[in-house]
Amino acid sequence: MKNFNSLFAAWTAVWAIFFLYEVSVARRVSRLREEIERLKQQLREGS
Amino acid sequence: MTTARAAAIILGKELRLEFRTRELLTATVVFALTVLVLFNFAFDPTAADARRIGPGLLWIAFLFSGSLMLNPSFARERSNDTLDALRMAPVSAFAILLGKMLANFIFMALAEVILVLVFSVLYNVPLAGVAGRLVLVLVLGTAGLVITGTVFSAISAHARMRELLLPLLLLPILAPLLIAAVEATASLLTDPPALDRTWVTFLAGFDIVFLTASWLLCDFLVEE
Amino acid sequence: MPAEHSNSMAGRMAATLFIAALVMCAGYAALFIAPEEATMGLIQRIFYFHVAAWSSMFIAFYIAVFANIAYLITRRAKFDWLGLASVEVGVMCCTIGLVTGPIWAHPVWGVWWTWDARLATTFILWLLYISYLLLRGLVDEPQRRAMLSAVFGIFAFLDVPLVYVSNRLWRTTHPQPVILGGDKSGLDPTMGKVLGFCIFAILGVMILVLLDRYRVEKLRHDFDELRFEVESRAADAQSNLAKAKP
Repeated sequence: MKNFNSLFAAWTAVWAIFFLYEVSVARRVSRLREEIERLKQQLREGS
Repeated sequence: MTTARAAAIILGKELRLEFRTRELLTATVVFALTVLVLFNFAFDPTAADARRIGPGLLWIAFLFSGSLMLNPSFARERSNDTLDALRMAPVSAFAILLGKMLANFIFMALAEVILVLVFSVLYNVPLAGVAGRLVLVLVLGTAGLVITGTVFSAISAHARMRELLLPLLLLPILAPLLIAAVEATASLLTDPPALDRTWVTFLAGFDIVFLTASWLLCDFLVEE
Repeated sequence: MPAEHSNSMAGRMAATLFIAALVMCAGYAALFIAPEEATMGLIQRIFYFHVAAWSSMFIAFYIAVFANIAYLITRRAKFDWLGLASVEVGVMCCTIGLVTGPIWAHPVWGVWWTWDARLATTFILWLLYISYLLLRGLVDEPQRRAMLSAVFGIFAFLDVPLVYVSNRLWRTTHPQPVILGGDKSGLDPTMGKVLGFCIFAILGVMILVLLDRYRVEKLRHDFDELRFEVESRAADAQSNLAKAKP
């Protein structure tokens, strides 16, 4: 299989870049959601 | 007050301010001369080499010293809070921008004339025969540099690390201008010299595009 | 969790699964359905995703300039969020393109990089939009940041055709010894169909990521508003307490 290594390297690069980015975004989303829930809880308790 | 008159007044102010101390102009010229000299140490060019890489060298020197020189255009206003005063005056945003662009153009032009002469002497490249056409290329190229540079000076004045930010914003945008200016200048150093019309037209187009964009977006640049 | 939240969650799950399925089909197509290229062999198959990444990049940057203009006209924060999200996603796609390009080029042409018009333009694009992100990082006040980056974004977008044209013109007078391929001239029809499918699939991925990134900004905004409310309630409670004291 000619040039399989390069194909594999390119494939890995594509998905690595994409996944790193998507994971960082997804983590931010869930962290923010948690914080918002926490604040909403605080408001409910306070009133 | 018409835009032209307001711009002229602001131009006058910028010129008066600068010629009081001439520090910006001096620094710009000295920096560009240093670049010229360092190039010699880096490449040790023969006369033939100098013709080939000369245009590139000149325009790189102009771009780098320009992006340093254009910073104070708006940064100076900000530190002295004079931008607020300008904003409250009955002048249009474009007049302010235009006045500063013209002032920066004059400063750059002065520096460039000195540099071109020094380059011609240092590297034995005779420029007498093409002087007029060279001036055209310099004018069009410098206009593009100054138009975008003044706008980005207004943008980066509000940011941290503005001395680094301005070149960072400006130099990628000016890549097409660099190509065009270098090619146009190089066409004047061939034997026989023949000004490349395509590149000159491109330079003019570049200037028009960004001047128009500046005019359309000027209010956003000068506002509170 | 409130009802509307779980409905949109379900919707997002469905969309994600659909796009994931599309991508797997695209990958299969690229690897097995597309015919093997005569000269380059296996490595040529990266072409499908390389070109797809660049198409998505262009679309992301189009969305960005639309958002920039919309922000300047309406001053609504959501366009600032969209601008930021689309530029970030566009830069990511550009990075993928710039990384896969050399990986493909080296075994085939023996060089990692060539300064042909398309590659040079893409590199400049990458620099321009990274500068956009850097600018945003250096301006602290939110409204000013939104406005300045919108103006810069428009200038950057205007520059793109100028960069491409100048590079093309330049390359006619300074031709490259090796011309990087990717020409669609004479593309085998099956390859063309696979390419189209891959572009579509990657576009789907890009849109999903963009929406997620947008969501981060929106949530951050919601969070700031809630926190402000919590703090002002606490401050009110404090001052009421102070007034109540004799």
